[in-house]
Amino acid sequence: MSDHDKIRELLALAAAGALTRAEEQQVAEHVRSCIACSNELEAWRPIASELRRLPTPQPSSWLVQATLARAEAKLTEQAERDWNRRVMIAVVAFAWLQTIASWPVFHFVSGRFGSLLEPQFSHTWIGFAAFTSLGWLAGGVAAVMLAIRQRGERRLA
Amino acid sequence: MAVDADVVRLRRGDLNALSELITRYQNRLYRYLLRIVRQPAEAEDLFQQTWLRVVEKIRSFDASRNFDAWLFTLARNLAIDHLRRTRPQSLDEPLANSWHSETVADRIPCKDHTPLDHALAAERRTEISEAMAGLPMIYREVLTLRFEDEMKIEEIAQVTAVPVSTVKSRLRRSLEQLRYALEARYPGGTWQ
Repeated sequence: MSDHDKIRELLALAAAGALTRAEEQQVAEHVRSCIACSNELEAWRPIASELRRLPTPQPSSWLVQATLARAEAKLTEQAERDWNRRVMIAVVAFAWLQTIASWPVFHFVSGRFGSLLEPQFSHTWIGFAAFTSLGWLAGGVAAVMLAIRQRGERRLA
Repeated sequence: MAVDADVVRLRRGDLNALSELITRYQNRLYRYLLRIVRQPAEAEDLFQQTWLRVVEKIRSFDASRNFDAWLFTLARNLAIDHLRRTRPQSLDEPLANSWHSETVADRIPCKDHTPLDHALAAERRTEISEAMAGLPMIYREVLTLRFEDEMKIEEIAQVTAVPVSTVKSRLRRSLEQLRYALEARYPGGTWQ
């Protein structure tokens, strides 16, 4: 491909202002000495110029208001979800804390505080473990049911 | 207030920041979507979806990135998904047509620049607008981003997720095809 052909391919982009500085210089130098390319560049200019001045379609004010309303609902929903997540984390942390803290209390109440240092699998320990497991299981089931319900509500919305 | 400040406020859940961003970008975004899908009702729906997606994803927005490019990328992805579902053929790249084989300059006669009066200007724009609407989606997109949104080539590359060289190639072809369409509608360059 000759230099002339290469420059000719750049003319549309020159009118679009999409050339690098080096390419711009190349084109400028070439069109000074090439009437055909100079005319071609001039033919591109009105197209580029008109494209820049095309009327801008305006969205209706109704659309903007409706978008804002929907976005507001979405933001509120997200804020609620974030709040729920924070509450859930706090509740889980509290539950763990309570579980751990209840061990010595449980032993103290059952009169076997000393055995805390030498834990043995007595009926007390098994009962305590079963009670704790049942509590966590119930909590887990409740969390899963809540998540399923929230997902269903989101789908309906 | 700067876009960056609005983005930071929106990340904190400030609805006023969203309102300001929508006001700032409403015309550009709606125009971009309308140029891509061509149907006002679809553009309106995508406009809403885009802002909902902004609300949803704003926390994952990398503040070092250009918000314009990010916003238009979200809009583009939604529009392309929509077109893929409703009119998949509209996304096809055009095959090499006969007009590629000859230079546009060979077909359009050079003529002196005729002075145009003000009344004809609006009509000319309508003609260009209609000719543009007949182009393939990727060409309409690159034209609107470059000429109407005045994005840099690098920004267009970000939005469309293609290399700069591809953007330039698309831009050149879109201009050539537009010129060809105008010449086909108005033989002899009468549209000018």
